[in-house]
Amino acid sequence: MKASIRKNDILLIAGLLVVAGVLALVLTLSRRDGRMVVIRYGSEVRGQYALSETLIVPIENGQGGENILHIEKGVVWMEEANCPDKLCVQQGKIKYAGESIICLPNAVVVEISGNDELALDGVTN
Amino acid sequence: MKKRLSLLLVMALLLTGCSAGKPVERPKPQPTAEDLEKSSVYVESMDTFMTLTAYGTAREAALEEAEKEILRLNDLLSVGVETSEISQVNEKGSLTLSQDTAAMVEKSLELYQETDGAFDITVYPLMELWGFTTENYHVPTERELSDTLTKVGADRLSFDAAARTLTLDEGQAIDLGGIAKGFTSQRVMEEFQAAGVTSGIISLGGNVHCLGTKPDGSYYRVGIQKPGAVEGGIAAVVEVADAAVITSGGYERFFVDEESGLTYQHIVDPATGYPVDGDLLSVSIVSQDGMLADGLSTSLYIMGLEHAADYWRSHHDQFQAIFIDSNQKIYVTEGLKGMVTSDSDITVLSLSK
Repeated sequence: MKASIRKNDILLIAGLLVVAGVLALVLTLSRRDGRMVVIRYGSEVRGQYALSETLIVPIENGQGGENILHIEKGVVWMEEANCPDKLCVQQGKIKYAGESIICLPNAVVVEISGNDELALDGVTN
Repeated sequence: MKKRLSLLLVMALLLTGCSAGKPVERPKPQPTAEDLEKSSVYVESMDTFMTLTAYGTAREAALEEAEKEILRLNDLLSVGVETSEISQVNEKGSLTLSQDTAAMVEKSLELYQETDGAFDITVYPLMELWGFTTENYHVPTERELSDTLTKVGADRLSFDAAARTLTLDEGQAIDLGGIAKGFTSQRVMEEFQAAGVTSGIISLGGNVHCLGTKPDGSYYRVGIQKPGAVEGGIAAVVEVADAAVITSGGYERFFVDEESGLTYQHIVDPATGYPVDGDLLSVSIVSQDGMLADGLSTSLYIMGLEHAADYWRSHHDQFQAIFIDSNQKIYVTEGLKGMVTSDSDITVLSLSK
C-alpha cells in the first residue's frame, strides 16, 4: 500500500516536471516571438515582421525613397538606402525591443517592439 | 481529480513565478487598465526625428499639446528658420528676446562660466568654417582658424537679463543647438504634467527625457548607443525616473579629409578651434534638468575623462554621468551605481579620488 502511493507520487512529480519544462519552453519561445519588427512612415505602420524570421524587406516610401532592411535571427539592420547621408546604414545592427533605425531623409522608421523585461523605453545617442 | 488539481496548482505557481525576483517598485496605487494604456506620436522637427510617448487617460491631449510646443520652439530657435529669434539676432547683432530664448541664453552663459568656456554658444562661426553647418566640409588653414577664433567667446556677448536684450560683438553669431533640445524636452514634461499625465517618455533625436516612473512603478530602461557602432547595438542600459538622459559623442557626425585621411568630428573645442580629439567616445548625462544635461554632455565630452570626472565631483548634486572611452570602457558616476547594466565591465567613479 505504502509503496504504491510512493510510486504514484514519483510518477506525478515526474509528469509535473515534464509539464513544467514544456511550459517554460513555450513561455520562453512565445516571449521571443512576441518581439516584432515594425516599419513605419512617420506615424503610419507599413509593415510588421516577427524578429525571429530571416528575411530581406525592400522598403519604398512612394516618393522615391528606397531602403533595404535585413532581419536575421533576432538582429535587424539597414543593408542599403538611396538617401544622401546613409546614416541608417551606418547605424548598424539593433536587437533589443525599443531600439530603432531611422532614415530621416526617406522618413522611414524601423523599430523593434515588444514587452519582454529587457525591452528599452528609449535609446540615447 | 486530485492529480489534475495538483497540476493546476503547479501551473499557477509557475505562471506567477515569472515575475518573481524582478525589482519592481510600487510607490503608486495599483494602476488601472487605463493608466497602463500608452500612445505615441512621431514628430520631425529641429532637424531630427522625435518620439513622444505618454501613458494614462490624458495621454492624447497631452501629446497634442507637446507636439504644438515643439513646433513653436523650433520656429523660435532654429538657425535654419529665417524668422527665428536666433537668425534675427545673428543678422541684426542685437535683439530683445522672448522669455524662452532669454532663459536659454541665461543658462548658456551660466554654463560657459561653470565649464570654463567649454560650453559656448558663440562657436557657430567655427562650425561654419569647418562646414559642419552645410556639410560642405573643409579643413581650415591656421590663418582662417585664428581669424575665426577672434569671433568666438560668450564672454563678449552682452546680455541684459532684466530687459532680455542680447547684443553680439562684431562678427559673432550664436546657435542654441547645444541646449535647445534639453530645454524643449523639459518643456514637453511640463506640458505632460499640465495635461494631467504622470508617466511618459520622449526621445528628441536621441535626447531622452522621462516623466515619473512607468505606470506600474518600474523605472524606464534607457539604452546607451554603442559609440561608433558599425556593429550597432547598446553599450549599456541605465534605469531612470524623472530625468533627462542626454548623450554627446563625435561618432554621430564626422568627415574624413581626403588629402590627409584624418577624421574630423562635429564637436569643436572653442578653446582651440579644432574638432575634439580626446579620450572619450561618448558622454551621457543624467539629470532632472534637461538644459543642464544637454549643455553638459557636450562640455564634458570636450573636457576628456579626467577633467570631466573632476567636474562631476564638484557638481555631483546636479547630475550623474556615463562615460565611454576610446577603448569602449564604461565608467559611471557613483550616483548611478546599480542603475546601469552592461555586457562589458563597468568602472564606478567615486567622489573621493
